[in-house]
Amino acid sequence: MTVQTETPEQASPATSRPPNPTAKKKSWTGLWFVLPFAAFYALFLVWPTFLGLYYSFTDKSLTGRPASWVGLDNWREAFGDERAWAALWNTAEFTIYSTPPLVVLAIVLALLVNRARRMGWFLRMAFFAPFVVPVSVVTMIWIWVYQPDGGLLNHYLQLLGIQDATQPVLWLQNEDTAMWSVVMTTVWWTVGFNFLLYLAALQTISPDVYEASSIDGANWWQQLWGITLPLLKRTTALVIVLQLIASLRIFDQMYLMTGGGPNRATEVAIHYIYIAGFEGYRIGYASALSYVLFVLILIVSIVQFRLFSRKEA
Amino acid sequence: MPNHPSPPGSLSRRAVLTGTAAAAGIGLTGCGSITGGLSGKTQIKQWNLLAGSDGAVMTAMHEEFGKEYPDYDLQATTFTWGTPFYTRLVMGASGGNAGDIATIHLSRLKSISPGTLMDPITVDELEAQGIRESDFNAATWDRCFVDGELYAIPIDTHALVNYYNRTVCEQAGVLGPDGTLLETQGVEDYFDVLRAVKDVTGEYGTSLDTLGGWRQFWAWYRQDDGEMTFGDGDFEMDDDKALQAIEIMYRMSEEGLCPQFADGGQCAANFENGAAAFVQVGNWEINRFKAFNEAQGLDFSMTEMPDFFGNRRTQGDCHSYVLPRHNNWDPEVREATITYAAWMLKHSFEWGEGGGHTPAYLPVTESAEYQALQPNAEYSGVVENVQFDPDVWFSGAGARLYDETSSIFNQVYGLAMTPDEALDLIKERIQTLLALPNPVE
Amino acid sequence: MTAVQEKTTPEARPQAAPKRRFKKPTVGAVIVYVSAAALALMWLVPLLWALSTSLKTETEASLGQDIHWLPENWSLEGYRTLFERGDHLTWMLNSTIVSTIVTVLTLVLCVTAAYGFSRFDFPAKNVIFAAIIAGLMVPSQALIIPLFDLVNDLKLAGTYWGLALPQVVAPVMVFILKRFFDAIPRDYEEAAKLDGAGHLRILWNVILPLSGPIMAAVGIFTFIGSWNNFLWPLLVATDPSMMTLPVGLGVVAGGYGLFYAQNMAAAILGALPLLIVFMIFQKQIVRGVAGVGLK
Repeated sequence: MTVQTETPEQASPATSRPPNPTAKKKSWTGLWFVLPFAAFYALFLVWPTFLGLYYSFTDKSLTGRPASWVGLDNWREAFGDERAWAALWNTAEFTIYSTPPLVVLAIVLALLVNRARRMGWFLRMAFFAPFVVPVSVVTMIWIWVYQPDGGLLNHYLQLLGIQDATQPVLWLQNEDTAMWSVVMTTVWWTVGFNFLLYLAALQTISPDVYEASSIDGANWWQQLWGITLPLLKRTTALVIVLQLIASLRIFDQMYLMTGGGPNRATEVAIHYIYIAGFEGYRIGYASALSYVLFVLILIVSIVQFRLFSRKEA
Repeated sequence: MPNHPSPPGSLSRRAVLTGTAAAAGIGLTGCGSITGGLSGKTQIKQWNLLAGSDGAVMTAMHEEFGKEYPDYDLQATTFTWGTPFYTRLVMGASGGNAGDIATIHLSRLKSISPGTLMDPITVDELEAQGIRESDFNAATWDRCFVDGELYAIPIDTHALVNYYNRTVCEQAGVLGPDGTLLETQGVEDYFDVLRAVKDVTGEYGTSLDTLGGWRQFWAWYRQDDGEMTFGDGDFEMDDDKALQAIEIMYRMSEEGLCPQFADGGQCAANFENGAAAFVQVGNWEINRFKAFNEAQGLDFSMTEMPDFFGNRRTQGDCHSYVLPRHNNWDPEVREATITYAAWMLKHSFEWGEGGGHTPAYLPVTESAEYQALQPNAEYSGVVENVQFDPDVWFSGAGARLYDETSSIFNQVYGLAMTPDEALDLIKERIQTLLALPNPVE
Repeated sequence: MTAVQEKTTPEARPQAAPKRRFKKPTVGAVIVYVSAAALALMWLVPLLWALSTSLKTETEASLGQDIHWLPENWSLEGYRTLFERGDHLTWMLNSTIVSTIVTVLTLVLCVTAAYGFSRFDFPAKNVIFAAIIAGLMVPSQALIIPLFDLVNDLKLAGTYWGLALPQVVAPVMVFILKRFFDAIPRDYEEAAKLDGAGHLRILWNVILPLSGPIMAAVGIFTFIGSWNNFLWPLLVATDPSMMTLPVGLGVVAGGYGLFYAQNMAAAILGALPLLIVFMIFQKQIVRGVAGVGLK
C-alpha cells in the first residue's frame, strides 16, 4: 500500500529557482515551440470568443440563412427573458443544494480514510470510482435506482418504513424532488474528487501537531475543530470555487435525467442556451445568452485566480 | 473531404484488422467513422422518429429490403419523437452531416428550412426508380415543393380517426345492420351515442389523448371552416368557432364521457380494457390494437371522425422522406438512397396494413388488394378530409404551437380551466410565439 | 507509509488500530473502520445494483419484480443482445480514437509550448503567455454556439477531428508543465548542449525523461476528461456511427426501451474501460488530484 504522503513534484519550485529568462537573448526559436499550441488556441478559443460576441449582435440562424445586424436587440431580449432568469436561478439552486454536501461529506470521508489506513486502497477506490464513470452511465443507473415503482431507493425507503408504499415518491417527475434527485446523483458521482483533495491535505499535516495537543489534554473533537479543520481551510476554499465554476456549467445530468423538466424545474443555464440556439435555431440570441453566463463564470474565475495566485507569490 | 465513410478501401480494412493503432486508422479512413467503412457495402444512413408501433412495421420492411439488396447496408436509427428528432436533424444538416435520408412530417418541411438544410430531389432520379408525379395525389405532391424545388417524397397520409369496440357498440345499439358504426350528424347526436355506450362500459364513452388536444381542436375547428392565418406579427382566428370546439372538450369531460386525463399509453389502454367504447387517436395505433386483439380479444373497427359540423374533417399529416443537405454526395450512396425510398413506396401496402397509414403511393392504394383491406377501407375517406396544421414556422407535428396549446387543452379536459380562459391563454401564447423572430426566413 | 508491512499477529486482530504515533482507544478505531467500510459499501451500491441487474434475465429484471440482489437465473442475455446490436462497440471504438487523439495532441502541443515558455525568450512572449493564462478563465461550455458554427464551417462536423480538436486547447496543462520545467535544473541541458544536441533533442532526451510523473498525470487526466466529455460530442456527433460512448448511451439509449438488463449491461460495459484505467493508474491519479490541492 502506498499512502500518498510525499509532496508532489510540483512543490519543488520553492527549492530550485526558475531560470531567469532575461539572461537569455531574444531569439525566434522559442516561438516555434509555442506556435502550434498558440495556433490551436487562437482558432478554437480566442476566435470563437469573438465570433460569439459578434453573433450576439446579429440574428444569425442555425438554418444558415443570411444573418443581419440587429444591434442590441438580442441583449435587450436576454435581460428581459424570464425563462433565462429562471434557468439562472435553477443553476444557483443546484449550486446551493450541492455545495454543502460536496464539502462536508468529502471532509468526513477523508477523515475516516485517513484514520482507517489499512483499508485505504479499498476505500479510495470505492469513493473515487464513480468519478471516472461517464455521465450517461451514472444517469442510466440512477434513473433505474429512482424508478418510482420498483426502484431501489423507494424499495428501501419503504422497507425502513419512511415511505408509504401506496404513495411512492416520483423522484425525477416531481417538481419538488427533481432538483434534489439530480443533486444526490451528482454528489455520489463527484464527491470522490474533493475527498482526494482533502485526503492529500490531511496527510501533509504532521502527526507532531496532534501529539503536542494530546499532551495538552485535547480530545479528538477539540483537535478536529482546533487543528484539522483550520488547516483544511485552503483546500475548502479551492473546493468551493471549483464547485461554483462546475455548477455554473452544469448541463449533462439535467439533460439526461430530467430533460430540464418537470415544468422547467431543472432547466439550467447551459440547457437554455442549448434550447435557444439548437432547438430554436437562434444562434444570435443564444450567443447573447452565452455571454451573460460567460461573464458570470469569468467573475468567479477571477476570484479564484486572485485567491490562489496570492498564495503562490 | 468526403463526410461519408469512404468506400471500403482495402487499405483501411487491413490497417484496422491487423490491429494498427486506432490513431493510424483515422488517417486512412479519412474522417468518416472507422466501423462504417468496414462492411464492404454501400451504406445508407436513415434517421426516423417512428418509435411507435409503426416503427416495428418499418423495421420489418427494412429487413426485407436488406434481403433484396444485399449490397446495401441500411443503418436506420430511431430518435425520440418531436423536438429531439427535429433538433438533431437540423443540427446535423447544418454541418452537412445528418443521415442520408430522414422521415419528417410534411407539416414541418418549411420549419426545417429546406432551402438551406435539405437537398432537392430531381424528378429524373425518381423516374429512374419508376416513381412519377402521377403516382401521387396532386395536392400532396404540391406540398412537397418549396420555392419551386422538390424536397420531400410523401410516404403516407395519417390522421386522427375513430376506433370503436364492436362488442360494446352492439350492446348499446349503435351499430348499423352491416355491423358498422351508425353515422351521426352534429355534436348532440354523437354525444347521445357516447352516453349510450357509457351506460354499457360504466366508465367513459370515448377515450382520447388529453395531452394531444391540438389534434382534436384542429379537427373540430376545421369542421366548422375555422381559419387561422398568420401575418406579420399578427394573426387571425375565429373566436366563436374556437370556443365552440373547446367547449366540446369541456362538456365531454364534465359529463364523464371522456377521461379527464390520459396520456398516450393510458388513452389506448382505456380502449383495450373496455373502459371506453371509442378511442379518438391516430390510425398508427392500429398495430397495437390488432396485437391486443390477438392476445386477449378485442373486436374493433375504425371509422372517420364523427361529423360535428356538417363534414368529417380530421387533423392529420403526411410522413415523408427528405434528403438532409450533404457537403457532397457519393453518387453510389445517392442512388442507393433513392432506390431505398422508391422500394419503400412500392411496398407501402405493408405500411398501410401494419401502420394504419394510408399510403401516398397511388398504385398501392388503388390496387384491388388495398381497396379490400379492412379496416383501412372503412376510413379511406380521411385522405380527402385531412386538415393540415396552419402554415407558420412554429406550427406542425411536435412543434411549439402543438406543444403549448396541447398543454392548455389538457387543463380543459382536466376541468381546471374554462373554455374562455383557455382561448384567452391560447391567443396570448400565439402572440408570444409571433413576437419571436422567425429563425427560418 | 510502511504501516502495511508490519504484520499484525493473530492475537492483535481485535485491536485493528493503525499504528499511529499517538494513542487512540481501540473502540474508536473499530468505529472508524466499521463506519468507513459501511460507507464504502453504500457508495458502491448503485454500481453493484447495476451489475446485479445486468446479470438477470429481462423478465427477472423488469419493474414490479421483487428486489433481490442475486439473480435467480444468472444470464448474460443483456450483454449478448448488446453485442448483437453492435453500436456499443462502435461507440467504444470512437471514444478510444477521440480520446487518444486528444491526449496525444494535448501532450505534444502543451509540452512543446511549455518548453518554449520555460527555456526561451522571444518577441511578444509575455503577451502570448498572458493571453494563454487568461484562457484559463474562459468557460468552453459558454462557447458551444460559436464553436459549433466554426466546426461546421471547417467542414469538420461529424468527423473524428471535429470531435477531438476543440478539446485539445488546454491552457491549464501548459501552465502546469511550464512550472514543472522551470524547476528542472539547467545543468543537464548544458551538458547535452556541449555534446551538440539541438533543442528538440534536449527536450526529448533530457527534459522528458525527468518529467515522467507529470506527463502521466497530464495524460491520464486529459484522457479521462475527453472520454467523459458529453456536451461537445452531443453537438457534433450527429450520426450514431460517429457517437462516443457517453453520447451514444445517452441519446440512442431510448432505443433500448424498457429492457433493464440490457440497459444495465450497457451501463456496466460503459463504466468498465475507465474503471480499469483507474485501477491501473490509481497511484498517478491520486497523486495528480493531490497536486491540484497542494500546488
